[in-house]
Amino acid sequence: MASLLSSGVLLRRNPHILKLPPYLSFLCVLIGVAWLLVLPLDNYSRNTYISENALLPGQVHTYFAGSDQNVFRGYKREIDALEDKPNIEVNDKLEEILKASGLKVARQSYEYKSAGQTYTGENIYAILHAPRGDATEAIVLVAAWKNMEGKLNRSGIPLILTLARYFKRWSLWSKDIIFLVTADSTAGPQAWVDAYHDTHQSPAIDSLPLKSGALQGAIVIDYPFDHRFHSLHIAYDGINGQLPNLDLLNTVVSIASGQMGIGVSLQQMWQHSDSYQDRLQTMLRGMMNQGLGHASGPHSSFIPYHVDAITLQPFGDGWQDEMAMGRVIESTFRSLNNLLEHLHQSFFFYLLMQANRFVSIGTYLPSAMLVAVNFTIMAIFLWVKSGYPQSTNSKTPSTVEAEEKTSQLNSSQKGNAKVITAEESSAVRERELLLPLAVVAGSQFLGVLPLYIFNHTPQNMLTPVFVSFAVANNALPYILSRTLTHLFNPTTQQYQLIKSFSLLLLGLFLSSLATLNFSLAFLVGLLATPLTYIYPTSSTSALSYVLKAVLALVLSVIAPTAVLVAASWSWGLSIEKVLTQAAYGWDVWGMNTQVVVWCVWWPAWIVGGVLLFGRPREETTKLNERGQESKAVI
Amino acid sequence: MRQLQSLLVFLAAILTFARASSDYHEQLVLRPLQPSLLLASFNFQSNTTWASFEQQNFRYFPRSLGQILQHANTRELHLRFSLGQWDAENWGARPWKGAREGGTGVELWAWVEAETDEEADGRWLTLTNALSGLFCASLNFIDSTRTTRPVLSFQPSGYHTNSTASKLHLLHGTLPREVVCTENLTPFLKLLPCKGKAGISSLLDGHKLFDASWQSMSLDVTPICRSGSEDCQLQITQTTDMVLDIQRSKRPRDNPIPRPIPSEELKCDTSKPYNSFDTCYPLDISAQEEEWSLSQIFGHTMKGSCPLAENESYPVCINVPHARDIYTSGAREHKDESGYMRCFELTPQEDFEMILPPQDLSERAPLEQPLLYAERSFIGYGQERGGVQAILTNPSPTDAVDFVYMESLPWFMKLYLHTLKAKINGNSEDVIQEMYYRPALDRKRGTQLEVRILIPANSTVVLTYDFEKAILRYTEYPPDANRGFDIAPAVITIGNVSIRTTSLLLPLPTPDFSMPYNVIILTSTIMALAFGSIFNLLVRRFVAADEAEKWDVRALRLIIKGAISRFARRFMKKTTKKD
Repeated sequence: MASLLSSGVLLRRNPHILKLPPYLSFLCVLIGVAWLLVLPLDNYSRNTYISENALLPGQVHTYFAGSDQNVFRGYKREIDALEDKPNIEVNDKLEEILKASGLKVARQSYEYKSAGQTYTGENIYAILHAPRGDATEAIVLVAAWKNMEGKLNRSGIPLILTLARYFKRWSLWSKDIIFLVTADSTAGPQAWVDAYHDTHQSPAIDSLPLKSGALQGAIVIDYPFDHRFHSLHIAYDGINGQLPNLDLLNTVVSIASGQMGIGVSLQQMWQHSDSYQDRLQTMLRGMMNQGLGHASGPHSSFIPYHVDAITLQPFGDGWQDEMAMGRVIESTFRSLNNLLEHLHQSFFFYLLMQANRFVSIGTYLPSAMLVAVNFTIMAIFLWVKSGYPQSTNSKTPSTVEAEEKTSQLNSSQKGNAKVITAEESSAVRERELLLPLAVVAGSQFLGVLPLYIFNHTPQNMLTPVFVSFAVANNALPYILSRTLTHLFNPTTQQYQLIKSFSLLLLGLFLSSLATLNFSLAFLVGLLATPLTYIYPTSSTSALSYVLKAVLALVLSVIAPTAVLVAASWSWGLSIEKVLTQAAYGWDVWGMNTQVVVWCVWWPAWIVGGVLLFGRPREETTKLNERGQESKAVI
Repeated sequence: MRQLQSLLVFLAAILTFARASSDYHEQLVLRPLQPSLLLASFNFQSNTTWASFEQQNFRYFPRSLGQILQHANTRELHLRFSLGQWDAENWGARPWKGAREGGTGVELWAWVEAETDEEADGRWLTLTNALSGLFCASLNFIDSTRTTRPVLSFQPSGYHTNSTASKLHLLHGTLPREVVCTENLTPFLKLLPCKGKAGISSLLDGHKLFDASWQSMSLDVTPICRSGSEDCQLQITQTTDMVLDIQRSKRPRDNPIPRPIPSEELKCDTSKPYNSFDTCYPLDISAQEEEWSLSQIFGHTMKGSCPLAENESYPVCINVPHARDIYTSGAREHKDESGYMRCFELTPQEDFEMILPPQDLSERAPLEQPLLYAERSFIGYGQERGGVQAILTNPSPTDAVDFVYMESLPWFMKLYLHTLKAKINGNSEDVIQEMYYRPALDRKRGTQLEVRILIPANSTVVLTYDFEKAILRYTEYPPDANRGFDIAPAVITIGNVSIRTTSLLLPLPTPDFSMPYNVIILTSTIMALAFGSIFNLLVRRFVAADEAEKWDVRALRLIIKGAISRFARRFMKKTTKKD
């Protein structure tokens, strides 16, 4: 063991080894990205399978057809007549219909305030008590009056009403079934599910007058047109990148494609040829949605409460009618009804590349971890390097060798093993920690400022505030760096330590985030990668100025603000819309992507900028000067 | 309901005063409920004198049960099997005012005569195990963690002499997880004198009973004495109450699937402009009285009256307005003067059938308002903590309600008593009159909480408390650990009326049960690695590189060369010898 230790010491002091980490960290990033790119291949992804045996998807006959279609058409006429009516009037009619089906009906009104806007509405829901049950468990069938695009859920609402009437006739339900019609797709479900778990903010959000047992699952119907459809699109992303149990998704996929012959698509991939490109695209779209952490449908609000939920959206023009959709839901509910335990068997962390192909966390996690490790490697390297005795002058490789040969040798004894090292390398330079710690901590705390500003600015002020912030943001690193140089005149070592701490924090945050929201950690990691390779130089040559200018350009391109602008431009949305949505997410859904952006990524970027414009003081000359001074005093 | 109660009082009066010797009574009361439901209450009651019970001279009293009671020194016994949820809002007050009802699953309480607590516990154990065998229920799982000794909630309903009363121990146990089914009904019917072969008990069929929206079976054994006399009797009362869905029950047994009805039979609202052959807005038919008959609901007609119920004049009663048309065969009708109750005198040895045609009826038999609405649910989420919220509403506009709220919680649900709060109409006010609290001991006994609350007229009390979820041992989880743990219903006692909330499902932090396997693999790997390297270090001899024996190809070549040369030399020697 002693020999191992001593060889470790030797290894640490090896000048060749010390040159390695920057390449190693770059290699980590490369492998991380490459890892992600090979995931869609057959050898790295798996076919989905049902893990929970109780589900038995598609094992039952479905009977939702025949005269129920007449009832559906009748209800549909009623809903069409209500299209532009106010929420309360709509709910009056829905209550009448649900009560006529023999269900208990209750309502809940809510009011959210975000970015100076007020979002109000009223949810209506009906509970079908399990005939022999004791209200201990429940499954939820949701249809939002308006879907995510603001379109009337034209066929979805009549379908939920017809299904309520149909389900009432069966006596086999072991769980209560809750039929919920929310006023919109984002605030309504959130208000309802918060109130169900009694975590809502009264009096803005009403408590629920009627309750059932523990929610075991939720299915959302989003069917905003009245023609026949071709396939089913499943939205499954929850808030903050949380996902429903894969078994739920598999159940619906297996019922729709296996039992009903309806194709299933994910992540708005309307065409999927099962090629590498399509799989990769599906996966990347999924990662983008997961990384943003926003709600992708009314189901998203359920997932933080450990209620597995998905949204079913028929699309395209085909020959599947609304009764086929109803049968998919009937069969899914029969499967969920079979559940003896809460869904727990299958995966909660996965990336889907097709409706029946996935990668589990064990396979994809190394990718984000490698990107995060790149920062940690550099941080450790910089820490070691900052403690490494500074060479007095620049040496050519030949002189280094000569020097090493002539340098005095130190021998130390550990046990009975002798270690012979160069005296020079065994000494550790004292690190000046106060300034680096203060700079890194300061920049981390500074992150609270934009977080607060963007979550509390009224909607009409968001664009001007953002523009001024973006401008200030680009100037900020330069100003900070100048101030730092002016006030403290940091040494190279201090710059190294600033960078080391900043990267260490970044690596730490990203690797722990990778286990919670893989995609966000990966995206932020990739965008922050250039920060690993930014060094301050004191050189004043023209080349270095050009290099600095180029790096400054790169830096401003990867700034969080610039990325935000680029992203909203590519989605075809205005900045105001994106920021309003983000503030809405913060206030209503409890989305915390902002925290990661402003308190993890942005501080690291600021520190990167400070480093770029930094001018390290020539330490050795200073020391000499001091020495001379002291001599002079003597 | 009031008529039903008055009838019961009358019945009880007959039982206690008219005849002192053994007798047997049975009665079925039917009551249509909204929407399209039918409440059927079966009541079977028999008495035996204390003297003949002591001498093991059983006539109507079931011998199997009598011997268990004697063996376990049980003076009063109450056993309940229940399933489903009573919808007080639509169905009004509970049958028998909740006195013959238990919480979901199985509930048992008894007064056991014993000198000490330990002796009482032993007898309770005997009782639960014996009843477990008798009723094919898991009553033997009522162990010390599920047994409580209520202080404020339960009062003996029978008469006990002062000498025995001082030695009586009340023990109460619940099994909220127990699913009541046919195997519990069969022994229940066997205790009856007519054993389900004749009389109203012939209508009790497992398929129908357990398809009910709500059902409750009860068995009560109470001593009854005429005041101040030694002439005591032991009364056994068995009841079965069920709320049947008329439409569901009418479906034939060989085709129980609720297929969509042919579109011609669909009752549509023809006033809608879009009404056509393929578009239908269904008519709200809840205003119309459903058509049903006894044989449709229970699967067959009633097989005459039980010959042992000699002096039972009205075995079947129905609680409907007199205006409702009822056609019967094999019975004579008697309408009572209140206007909502009629009873039938049956012809012996003849099947009894009752048919109610569809009818538009504006009048309905009045519903009795319950004294209290109670609703209990979990609040909060997560694996560590949670809360319970009980909403108790007094609907009466004039009378305050004084009641005892009793919770018996399992030990792994650790109650924080300081968080117990009662809010009345949203304000914190002191409505808690009295409290009895017995904290849990891990793996020994559960928490027992009894709170006496006074709710003023027309008010709502919200009772909340927080709890912490304990982490169980690996082996303490049931096979379906992720389902959660059932929490027994709370019992609300208002005088002699009792109400039960629904049971709750408590999700506990559950380990991944494949974890031990992973742990074994991981530790084995680490052990192997550590052992391997340490063994290597201990056994291996470290030498300098130049000291080491050389094992290269040259050495091998030399060895081979040596061997060849040795062989050659020997061969050479041989040849020289020959020479």
